[in-house]
Amino acid sequence: MSTSNGTPAVQTKDVWKIYPQEPNPVKAVRGVSLEIESGDFVAMAGPSGSGKTTVLNLLGGLTRPTEGSIEIGGLEITAMPDKALARLRLERIGFVFQAYNLLPVLTAMENAEFTLLLRGVPASERHERVRVLFDQMGLEGLEDRFPGKLSGGQQQRVAVARAVVGEPALVLADEPTANLDSVASAALLDVMERLNREHGTTFVFSTHDPRVTERARRLITLVDGEISTDVRQNHETAGA
Amino acid sequence: MRFRVLLKLALRSVGRNARRSALTAAAMVIGLALLIFSRSLAEGAHEQWVTSAVRMGTGHVAIQAPDYLESGKLEHRIGVKAYPRALDAVEAVAGERVVAHAPRLTVNGLASSASSALPVRVEGVDPDRERIFSDLDEKVVDGRYLQSDDRLHAYVGVELARRLGLKVGTRFVLTAQSASGDVEGQLVRVAGIFKSAVPEMDAGLIHIPLETAREWLGTPGAVTTYAVLLTSSRDTGGVVEELHDRLSGDDLRVLGWRDASPELDAALRMDDYGDYVFHSILFAIVALAIMNAVMMSVLGRRREFGVLQALGLTGAQTGWVVFGEGLFLTAASGVVGMGLGFLFTWGFFRDGIDFSGLVENESAWASAGGIVDPVIVPTFHSSQVLLSLYFMLIIGTLASIYPAMRASKLDVAEAMKFDQ
Repeated sequence: MSTSNGTPAVQTKDVWKIYPQEPNPVKAVRGVSLEIESGDFVAMAGPSGSGKTTVLNLLGGLTRPTEGSIEIGGLEITAMPDKALARLRLERIGFVFQAYNLLPVLTAMENAEFTLLLRGVPASERHERVRVLFDQMGLEGLEDRFPGKLSGGQQQRVAVARAVVGEPALVLADEPTANLDSVASAALLDVMERLNREHGTTFVFSTHDPRVTERARRLITLVDGEISTDVRQNHETAGA
Repeated sequence: MRFRVLLKLALRSVGRNARRSALTAAAMVIGLALLIFSRSLAEGAHEQWVTSAVRMGTGHVAIQAPDYLESGKLEHRIGVKAYPRALDAVEAVAGERVVAHAPRLTVNGLASSASSALPVRVEGVDPDRERIFSDLDEKVVDGRYLQSDDRLHAYVGVELARRLGLKVGTRFVLTAQSASGDVEGQLVRVAGIFKSAVPEMDAGLIHIPLETAREWLGTPGAVTTYAVLLTSSRDTGGVVEELHDRLSGDDLRVLGWRDASPELDAALRMDDYGDYVFHSILFAIVALAIMNAVMMSVLGRRREFGVLQALGLTGAQTGWVVFGEGLFLTAASGVVGMGLGFLFTWGFFRDGIDFSGLVENESAWASAGGIVDPVIVPTFHSSQVLLSLYFMLIIGTLASIYPAMRASKLDVAEAMKFDQ
């Protein structure tokens, strides 16, 4: 599925990421070419060191490829200046990290509304958007708690709220369930699926948890930095 | 909006790491308090030193003939016509700023007794005015100071008296080149002997009545210096300017004490340089403490800064967060340190600190013609305090720049791997 104008959410062409290291440079990503349609729900699987996180970092503009090109929503980001990349991340990309990575000095509400604050969205609109998300994600009543006073599952849901509150076109999630138990993992995936379904947000997440991969609509497997398999999966829960 | 967000992050980060912030703040607070204490003590000592030196010397402000400072010769004196104008000008500016003013007729000569002859500086003075101006009359160890009706009396330093074998009542001869160029002698009798603790004065200064000096040297109605003593050395510039304006066109020169007593000025500057070295070391220590604390904070929060940039902050904005933390810490510590410095100095030492136990030899407190009272009373000048605060802010700012730059140049992908 593509956006209304047919532009893919993500398009990479022969992307390489090589870390210069003596005596042998490390080829973390080797010639990855892929196209992810807008509104897709994609899992990247593979063993540790297969390059999943590096691919997500490349797609998020957190690191630059050694070779190849990357387009996000039709925008070539490979040579984009740092400031423009930061702007792109702020407005069009949401991140969910394995270790939650909430800002410890901000409350759950402040964490969730952080990107909206940076975008200058008025307080009333910010609070309303976060409140709606918190209600949907079972976080109501936790708005004023600091991350240290939240459980792992609650923190990860706040992190997802932070990633989607600005309604980005693309959410990149790096092993979002790695630190959660099975119940919390399932709950988080429910939330992500609902956001994908209701808002049309494109999700790309890395994982090596089979319970997660089976819920993805598309499963890309990486081995040694290369795409090993790329399959569409049919099941009831996913749908854009 | 972004600025407020960054500020909020910076302030809360300072509060979050309370122990680390408190330790850093403590270094700055103690540093600034120590600086204020040290500066106010130095200011107090300098003021006492200057006051002592100018009271025994040419005053805070000296009116002289144009070439007298360089030549020290009688030919460059304030003559009988110019003298009243100088006096009028001084009396016109006299007010709360002026404590006293006195005429001096100074000449270098020789003092000869039955046992020896030594080079001396003879000052013809008005005893009544001199008693208010100088505190030399209080330094008497034998006999008395000069009186207004004295004619052939002399007030001599204790070391000079010892070397010449003089006692109260002893007669001796002063010899110097008079205004006519001839060498003239003057017989005088010791009225009193003083001990100032300034070695060069005790060994070489003699006061005689002004009129006696004028007659002896053939300079009726003349003086070499008209000295003005002020309430504070800080008023010198203003009074010099006013007198200069009033005496413009006259054959007179108005000098501040720094110009009239270059040796005192040099000694104070040397002392200031010593203070600056001490303060530089102090500042360097404080700067290192700030930089270390902010740097540790940056290194320990790499992942957090990586997250900020992943969420859309630019590298520069991330740097501003770190910079803001350092700046806030510095500003808060600066205010507390200033308050503590005041409280400590004023609360405990408002009556002065007695250092007399440190040095037994009285003359060790003497330098450049003045004596530093071993009981030093700290003196506050708001400009000095603000300058200290200003320097502390600069140090804090500079010390925060490097950590801020490190945070701004973070490799985001690498930072995200960092295990906090």
